[in-house]
Amino acid sequence: MRKILGRGSAVLHLSVLVSAAASAQPAPPEFSADIVSRDAAGAQVGAIAKLRVADRKTRIDVSDPPGGFFVSDADSGTALFVRSVQHIFLDARQSTPLTRIFVRVDPLEPCRQWQAAADLAGVAGTGDWRCERMERAIVNDRETVEYRLTAPGQRPSYGWVEPTLHFPVKWQAPDGGSIALENIRIEAQPAGLFGIPSDYRKLDPQALLERIKHSDVWAEPAK
Amino acid sequence: MRMNCRNHLAWGASAALSFSLLAATAGFADDKSNDADAADAVKTESPIKHVIILIGENRGTDHTFGVYKPKGKHQTISNILSKGIVNEDGTPGPNFSQAQQFAVAPQPLFYIGAPQKAKTVYTGNQMPQPNTNGAPSAQGTTGAPFTPAFLAAAAALDPSPDFNANTDTILTTGFTGLANNSLDSRIPNAGVLPNGPFVLQGPNISDDDYTGATTHRFYQAWQQSDCSIANATKANPTGCLNDLFPFVMATYALNDSTVPAVQKNFSEGNSMGFYDAEQEQASLLKTLADRFSLSDNFHQSFQGGTGANHFMLGTGDAAFWSDGNGNPITPPAGQIANPNPSAGTTNKYTADNNFSNCSDFTQPGIAPIVGYLEALPYRPAPNCATAHYYMLDNTNPGFYPNGFRAPSPAAQNMIPPSPVRTIGDALNEKSITWAYFGGSYNDAVALSNDAVTAGTAATLNSSTALGAAALADPAHSLGVAYCQICNPFQYATSIMGDPAQRTAHIKDTVDLLADIQADTLPSVSFGKPDGLLDGHPQSSKIDLFEAYVQQVLDALEAHPKLKAETVVFVTWDEAGGYWDSGFIQPIDFFGDGPRIPLLTLSEYSTGGTVNHTYADHVSLLKFIERNWKLKPLTDRSRDNLPNPKMRDDQPYVPRNMPALSDLFDIFDFDHRVNQPYLQ
Repeated sequence: MRKILGRGSAVLHLSVLVSAAASAQPAPPEFSADIVSRDAAGAQVGAIAKLRVADRKTRIDVSDPPGGFFVSDADSGTALFVRSVQHIFLDARQSTPLTRIFVRVDPLEPCRQWQAAADLAGVAGTGDWRCERMERAIVNDRETVEYRLTAPGQRPSYGWVEPTLHFPVKWQAPDGGSIALENIRIEAQPAGLFGIPSDYRKLDPQALLERIKHSDVWAEPAK
Repeated sequence: MRMNCRNHLAWGASAALSFSLLAATAGFADDKSNDADAADAVKTESPIKHVIILIGENRGTDHTFGVYKPKGKHQTISNILSKGIVNEDGTPGPNFSQAQQFAVAPQPLFYIGAPQKAKTVYTGNQMPQPNTNGAPSAQGTTGAPFTPAFLAAAAALDPSPDFNANTDTILTTGFTGLANNSLDSRIPNAGVLPNGPFVLQGPNISDDDYTGATTHRFYQAWQQSDCSIANATKANPTGCLNDLFPFVMATYALNDSTVPAVQKNFSEGNSMGFYDAEQEQASLLKTLADRFSLSDNFHQSFQGGTGANHFMLGTGDAAFWSDGNGNPITPPAGQIANPNPSAGTTNKYTADNNFSNCSDFTQPGIAPIVGYLEALPYRPAPNCATAHYYMLDNTNPGFYPNGFRAPSPAAQNMIPPSPVRTIGDALNEKSITWAYFGGSYNDAVALSNDAVTAGTAATLNSSTALGAAALADPAHSLGVAYCQICNPFQYATSIMGDPAQRTAHIKDTVDLLADIQADTLPSVSFGKPDGLLDGHPQSSKIDLFEAYVQQVLDALEAHPKLKAETVVFVTWDEAGGYWDSGFIQPIDFFGDGPRIPLLTLSEYSTGGTVNHTYADHVSLLKFIERNWKLKPLTDRSRDNLPNPKMRDDQPYVPRNMPALSDLFDIFDFDHRVNQPYLQ
């Protein structure tokens, strides 16, 4: 999973945060898919993650850490990491870029959304970050629209948006590596998959860090 | 503060021992069964085909087994109960004064054998009192100990199975209910405790409670041991009196407003605390001692702390500051120790740093130790190479857990990559399988990757960088609990500098359990829990380490054939600064130090025996080398020392000092007993 996460980070060179603006388009369908990372030669890299999307919420089940999943809500702007077996959740923060690159978009104006995210992430530079609509393309048997994203001083990345899903289905990094949705299945998603049960507890890594500082594990010099 | 849950302690002393005696094995022929266990095919000197070394944190022999009565027939033990220092209920015994601690008048220079005329009994015979130091004051919803509703909270952070049914409950318990750095009033009679050992047991304290730690650093430990040939007797020919423990803790640092908080010390009298095994404290360890073998003359190999002792465990030697290519160089001035007292203080160290060149007698702190070694009848060599600055105290390795090499170790306060040969190198050369299994290692690798990506790994100390990464990557935040300094192979260029070696041999606890499950356990395994489960008194608890041990033993129990050919050694990195009454054999400049327990768990080491043969961490290397027919690691490593020739009249003092056991005499390979580890 780490390699997938790394690839996802390389794909965009930006931190995509979903704006709260509701789309005027017809409600897109709920669906599930596999998230697969591949190198430039097309070989699979790392483990497959499982994506589920309903309304403006996404859930991504990962294999590392085992049993963990991320849930993000585009309306509230939150992304959480959940361990269901242990009844615990944490702020996902930067734990994975997947929660920021695989989110619902406005299929007519995804660039506006990504531009806002790039501005927030500080990678848009001084107005020379560009997002351009290219042409229609078939990705994994689905019709998509290709976009080219160019950050200042970097080679472009590419994204493919599937209009009926309101969702990007593939990202490609400048080095040719990609991360894409495969085995997309249009199907209703149980609402319970996207919520945090009331008995789950939130954990703060800062508290863990403070405890560890009182152990022999922590060897930062005092001086 | 006591909680009413000790769910893992069901085995207790009342557990019936249902021994199943099996016929002795007919020699040590290799197992010919066609299973997945490649280690079976390797020729060994004994029937042992696998060794697992589990290492806890910071517990000494008297601290853990001071009040313990061996269960084996005609077995004896040297501890504070057998010496009459305390009674079975932990109260002062008839010979309590043998453990009396002293204060020392100010001296001009660092010393390890205090002048007798400078030593005084504390006023009212009352030593510095126990202190909560940094033990957690309360339960939290965001860190251990957790609130009861938070049973599995920490487990959520850990992709390894460190957290399980054995630990969930006890991860909620044991907070002090007191302010940090205050008198630990949970201890009965705290504030007026007499001058000597005190039991960590009462209505408000037990082995299920966090307690204030006590400093355990190199020069402090030598000074606490109070070794002088002038003190030598027939029973104690090296003259270590172990009578300055609270004094050194109360004086080596200052706690006034002129001192930064991180340099203050509140260890005070914590070093004199002990558990009462006869009253069900550390009951899992006691059960194992009752059923298998306990060593009461096993020692930490290095005076002081975690990093140097683990390094000795992996190399039989000490680490030194180098250019990263194997050549010794002088470290930055801020790394060099000066334990001489600051002007106007009783014993406040001038520079409590981590490295010394012990080949140069003119450097601070060196002459008293080397002079003492030269005065001993057996004149042990200091083993200090010219111009080598040795790592005496905890310093992070020059490699991050993912193998990233710190580009500026000096600026990052990390020791440059080490050329010192490890037991891993020796095993590799003979194609003998091995692995180091560190709790939360996989998370630490993830955080290291984050730190490399963020650029912090190139500039910051690895503890700091991983801490920052944990806040940004909470899913892997338990990686901060992986112990970098505990992994002797993380220092080594030959292992961490080679991605193939690192990935083949450096693993997580989850991999240890998986290997047992799959019958693919390496011949040699080192197991180290993470910082929440390692048993450290201030950040973990002794029962959490017991739970870790139990998890490994449970896994083995489910695989009887593997269990039958496996020895599990359970020991500690050091005594954690806790006082001990045992004999110490100085071997070189670096140690030995106080006793620590060693439990030997195998079908050939049963019956509740107590082994008295002198040994230390390097004895574990000697066991591996003898069993798998390896040579000593280098011409200067401690595994060159002979086996001790023990004396009937002085069973703890080798006749041929310096000497270290290879541990083979713990086993009876003609007598195999198949019994559960715990029941």
